[in-house]
Amino acid sequence: MSPEPSAGVLLDHLFRHQAGRMVAHFTRLLGPARMDLAEEVVQEAMLRALQTWPYTGVPENAPAWLFRVAHNAAIDALRRSHLAQEKTESLVAELSSSLTPQEDPDLEEQLRDDELRMIVMCCHPEIPRDAAVALSLKTVGGFGVREIARAFLADDAAIAQRLVRAKRQIRDRRLTLEMPRGAELEHRLDSVMEVIYFMFNEGYAAHEGEELIRADLCLEALRLGQLIAASSIAVPKVHALVALMAFHAARLRARTDESGDLVLLDSQDRSRWDSRLIAIGFHHFDRSISGDTVTSYHAEAAIAATHARAPHPDATDWPMILEFYDHLLAMNPSGVVALNRAVALGKVHGADQALAAVDTLAKDPKLRDYYLLLAVRGHILLELARPGEAANCFRAALEKRCSAPERRFLERKLTECRERAA
Amino acid sequence: MALFMLLLHGDNSGFAKLSPEEMQKATEKYMAWTKKPFTRDSHRLAGEPGRVIRMEAGKPSIKDGPYSETKEVLGGYYTIEAANYDEAVKLALENPQLEYGGSIEVRQVYGT
Repeated sequence: MSPEPSAGVLLDHLFRHQAGRMVAHFTRLLGPARMDLAEEVVQEAMLRALQTWPYTGVPENAPAWLFRVAHNAAIDALRRSHLAQEKTESLVAELSSSLTPQEDPDLEEQLRDDELRMIVMCCHPEIPRDAAVALSLKTVGGFGVREIARAFLADDAAIAQRLVRAKRQIRDRRLTLEMPRGAELEHRLDSVMEVIYFMFNEGYAAHEGEELIRADLCLEALRLGQLIAASSIAVPKVHALVALMAFHAARLRARTDESGDLVLLDSQDRSRWDSRLIAIGFHHFDRSISGDTVTSYHAEAAIAATHARAPHPDATDWPMILEFYDHLLAMNPSGVVALNRAVALGKVHGADQALAAVDTLAKDPKLRDYYLLLAVRGHILLELARPGEAANCFRAALEKRCSAPERRFLERKLTECRERAA
Repeated sequence: MALFMLLLHGDNSGFAKLSPEEMQKATEKYMAWTKKPFTRDSHRLAGEPGRVIRMEAGKPSIKDGPYSETKEVLGGYYTIEAANYDEAVKLALENPQLEYGGSIEVRQVYGT
């Protein structure tokens, strides 16, 4: 008889999370130029788990088991490789001196450091941002090519290409896992934050695509943000970014109803907001305030915090939010920010003013055809009891590229216009 | 009830492209099979090389193997209970082996 397979179920995302830290760990030991080998031995460890755990049960310390198998696979691979004998032996010695998690309490610390160095390297300015995001997800995040492709609505081959190019950059430019210092660190940190925020927004944006994997993207961005916030390289703006992501992530499950339809902030059931994430948000928000630099992350976090503080929509401090938007717009004069500001303006000074602001924005040819601008304009016109014109806006918005839930949302609005006109 | 062996053949290539998350899903599916109510027994065979013994010129010859010509090797087996072949096959159709590119040989086992 085979031993009774352990009743223990695998922790959610155990493989993904372990894969991320293992790849970071073995890349440090083997060197960034051998990142592919690091990924291979991690894959091999997972395969071994797949082949044995169903029959032997899940080992008591599953992460340590995976580490040990990957570790042995790395040594085997090095011995089989065509590296010079000396080089092989020095790498094997290096590997052998690294302990498995169960044997060394400091290793947890070391692993966090490995992950941190890895993400900092992946976000090197020489690597294009798209590729840096894909590489970070693949290596530190433990995502597969297909999952990254699904999250970005790209095809597998395009993502695989992006990864190959990023790894080539790492080899050709001999990038290391050494932590940059001084001004270079500051610069790099900006690029790390950009990559993380980009990752988060890709997950958050209500494009089409598989919802689950996109929420995973948000949570991974949040995890990476927290990793950096907890490290020695953290500065106040990192906390602002983490706060901002935590506040938004808290609302993820309230943003859609049972049928997957979009629910706007005002109509969300606030009891479905994730209070744990909101608490994390405030924790980091408090830490973001120290220091004297104010970044756009600060302004965005402040806006999100103001929403999070309101127990119901009517309790929202819109004048405060408008003020934050003014700051944000001064730092980041983008059309999307201006559009959001127009909404806040309407809440404070009335729909007339909001309409005037949106119409000014619509003069910008880049924004004129943006479906969100059209949708916002329709919304304001409906508020001004001009359902005919509002309907025109929603119809025009429907002609633009948007996701299925957004489309259904616009169609519901159109129906509302017709009812109001009748 | 009769007993049937499900012999799992495969070459692992179906797992090569899986992400860690998908590997975990696959592990969970196989784990679930060891706990099915009709599963009597389940074993995984260690990877190659095993040993193949045959008589050559009147003497046993022991070689590493089987290194099968076809890429698929026997990787494990389940013993399940089913009324007949039809039911055994029907149950086997749900086994994850098929999803990951392997094949299943269903054979009745004599005895109870």
